Amino acid sequence: MFNPLLTLARWLQDTSLRLDLSQSTWAVPIIGAIHVLAIAWFGGAVLVQDTQLRRFRRTGISILAFTGALLFWSQPLRLYYSQFFRAKMILLVMIAVITLLPARHARLAMAVSLALWAGVILASRGIAYR
Amino acid sequence: MPLENSWIFPSIESIHVIGLAAFVGTIVLEDLHTLGFRIPDARHLKVWTHAGLAVMLLTGAVMFLSDTTRYLRNPAFHVKIALLVLTLTTHFTLHRRGTRFAAGLSLALWTCVILAARAIADFDV
Repeated sequence: MFNPLLTLARWLQDTSLRLDLSQSTWAVPIIGAIHVLAIAWFGGAVLVQDTQLRRFRRTGISILAFTGALLFWSQPLRLYYSQFFRAKMILLVMIAVITLLPARHARLAMAVSLALWAGVILASRGIAYR
Repeated sequence: MPLENSWIFPSIESIHVIGLAAFVGTIVLEDLHTLGFRIPDARHLKVWTHAGLAVMLLTGAVMFLSDTTRYLRNPAFHVKIALLVLTLTTHFTLHRRGTRFAAGLSLALWTCVILAARAIADFDV
């Protein structure tokens, strides 16, 4: 059966960028450090109402997505098969869906997404181990 | 007691990172506000700052005590603790004045603490 995600992971695995990233001594540590730094810099935005911080929030999400994509690129097949990575992606999709809730549910949306973000961090740490 | 081979250590690490997002995340909002960025006043989030700090100190102490020899021979850990003492001291003194200088210094120092902390994993010998 055709599996587009596995096909993508296999294709990324064979790119020269994957080789460069995974063989470099400092690439992954530095990109990983920026990824964590972005959590600290932009994590507070989860505690503030959406409308007041739209640009700030977008900047944070962009940095996390960009560094996250590079980290994925450094080991696509291992992450494809990682249960924790899958859990993290599902949680991120759930957070994205919650942002679509109408404004009158803003407080509920914030509480649920706080719990989901905590889950994202738990799953992320798990990836490093398994 | 070494915790490396169980789910306990990764869980404590995760809670440490969640604490980081709450603690430094709210300080950054406050600092950017002080520096004149278009960010709403985040003073009502102080409870998150202090809860985050408490969580970080507690989980940090547990991780340290789980393998003291590992941390004591790790150069990045020494740098992190030195920076942390300096940054926490300025946080509870100079930072309270709410000047732009203090806000900029706070952003720079917390960034250095986090970079040094992250480097602990890269300097295991």
